[in-house]
Amino acid sequence: MSAFELIVPATAEEAVAALRAAAGDGVAALAGGTDLLLDLEDGRVTARRVVSLRRLPWRTLDWNGPTLTIGSTLPLRRLELDPEVRAGFPGLYDAVRAVGGPALRHRATVGGNLGRSAPASDLVPVLLTLDAEVELIGAHGSRGVALDRFLVGSRRTTLAAGELIRAVRLPERRPSAYLWQRVRPSNDISQIAVATAYSPTRRTWHVAIGGVAPRPVLVPEAAGALGGGRPTDDAVRRAREAVRRHAPVTADKRGSEEYRRHLAGVLLDRAVATTLARFA
Amino acid sequence: MSASSVRLTVNGAPSPLAEVPHDERLLDSLRWRLGLKGTKEGCRTGNCGACTVLVDGASTLSCLTLTHEVEGAAVTTVEGVADDPVGARVRAAFADAGALQCGYCTPGFLVALTGLLREEGRAAPVEELLEELASNLCRCTGYSAIARAVKDARERLP
Ligand SMILES: Cc1cc2nc3c(=O)[nH]c(=O)nc-3n(C[C@H](O)[C@H](O)[C@H](O)COP(=O)(O)OP(=O)(O)OC[C@H]3O[C@@H](n4cnc5c(N)ncnc54)[C@H](O)[C@@H]3O)c2cc1C
Ligand code: FES
Ligand code: FES
Repeated sequence: MSAFELIVPATAEEAVAALRAAAGDGVAALAGGTDLLLDLEDGRVTARRVVSLRRLPWRTLDWNGPTLTIGSTLPLRRLELDPEVRAGFPGLYDAVRAVGGPALRHRATVGGNLGRSAPASDLVPVLLTLDAEVELIGAHGSRGVALDRFLVGSRRTTLAAGELIRAVRLPERRPSAYLWQRVRPSNDISQIAVATAYSPTRRTWHVAIGGVAPRPVLVPEAAGALGGGRPTDDAVRRAREAVRRHAPVTADKRGSEEYRRHLAGVLLDRAVATTLARFA
Repeated sequence: MSASSVRLTVNGAPSPLAEVPHDERLLDSLRWRLGLKGTKEGCRTGNCGACTVLVDGASTLSCLTLTHEVEGAAVTTVEGVADDPVGARVRAAFADAGALQCGYCTPGFLVALTGLLREEGRAAPVEELLEELASNLCRCTGYSAIARAVKDARERLP
């Protein structure tokens, strides 16, 4: 006996209808399955029906001028191997490379990462610094929502019942970087991670921190301290202090609060330096 | 209701599977339906890489993949990996380096490295290949011979 019934709709409309029809009994969307299958097996998620997204035409990468739209079911490995993505969003490349190994990334998707909304997600901090917008599709059509407003906490988002993530939109290329610290480099989650990006059109820095509960967040105090353009050494020092003071860092089993705050400062320094080295 | 047939091509041979429960993992279909025991189960949680197979050429963790999700795909396991010219070189490099102790992790390494070299060729430096193989664990910790085999396999590419 199968633990669930797998439904494989051919269109987004059918997928939304299947999710809505089963909403009462427990239903989940399946992209790569690298989070969901384990959550189902361990009972963290219960679903008698699983709606596979594999036939939907969302494994796409579309450029429209400076804007990149990433289809939600595109495997992370495809993003990683795309030279234009790497050049335009180097911080996103760093972050994708931090997710498991290639055999995981051949199946794991951006939509699944956001749908899971993990505090230690390696993609969320970078996407926050890139002002990512999540495009959702449901029974009443499409809507766009800023990623910062989409995420709530671990396994909690503002996705409505019967809604799906269709794509993630990045408004412009930004020099960017993502750095993480783990107890072990592979087979572990990031205990603290810092993403930085610089918007050349708005002349603003963007700083986010990951590995913090209940979800990764932007740290506007640190971004403000960096000012507009190339920061002075003093501005970087103030940003480092701001990250240490304002980031919602607490102790966890991977380290004390003091150690984790220290790491956040060190990673900020390095992320800013890496981002500067990537200025055109 | 929650079982149906799946069409796969495994190691070049059409391999229709009947009555596959919807929640069945590719790992179990390969081992228990097709008797291809080369693909190993180490952790069943995506952490060890022992279950790696190629799905349409892309390295994939078969323990985290539903068989139904790869309907119509061409699957290559360690039993078929040496039919590919890159896979044959990888296997020879591992044999020549003596890159195994108990051998449990070896199928995963052979398949994962074959996938990487087919995807990236010589473009990736050895250090990057080793970093990418960090998600394949060797419980016997025989990593130095494995690293030598990786370097050698890359150099043997056509
Ligand atoms: C061994 C291992 C290592 C990992 N390492 C990392 C790591 O280093 N960093 C990291 O960030 N993550 C890591 N992960 C977690 C996971 O691989 C990622 O979160 C991945 O991006 C999830 O994508 P998926 O397509 O597999 O999601 P799925 O498992 O298919 O889905 C995850 C959740 O999102 C929902 N969902 C999926 N697609 C959509 C959609 N289009 N619309 C709405 N909801 C959707 C599902 O219903 C489910 O709730 C790891 C997982 C494993 C098993
Ligand atoms: S058995 Fe699949 S990764 Fe360990
Ligand atoms: S040789 Fe024994 S696990 Fe690697």
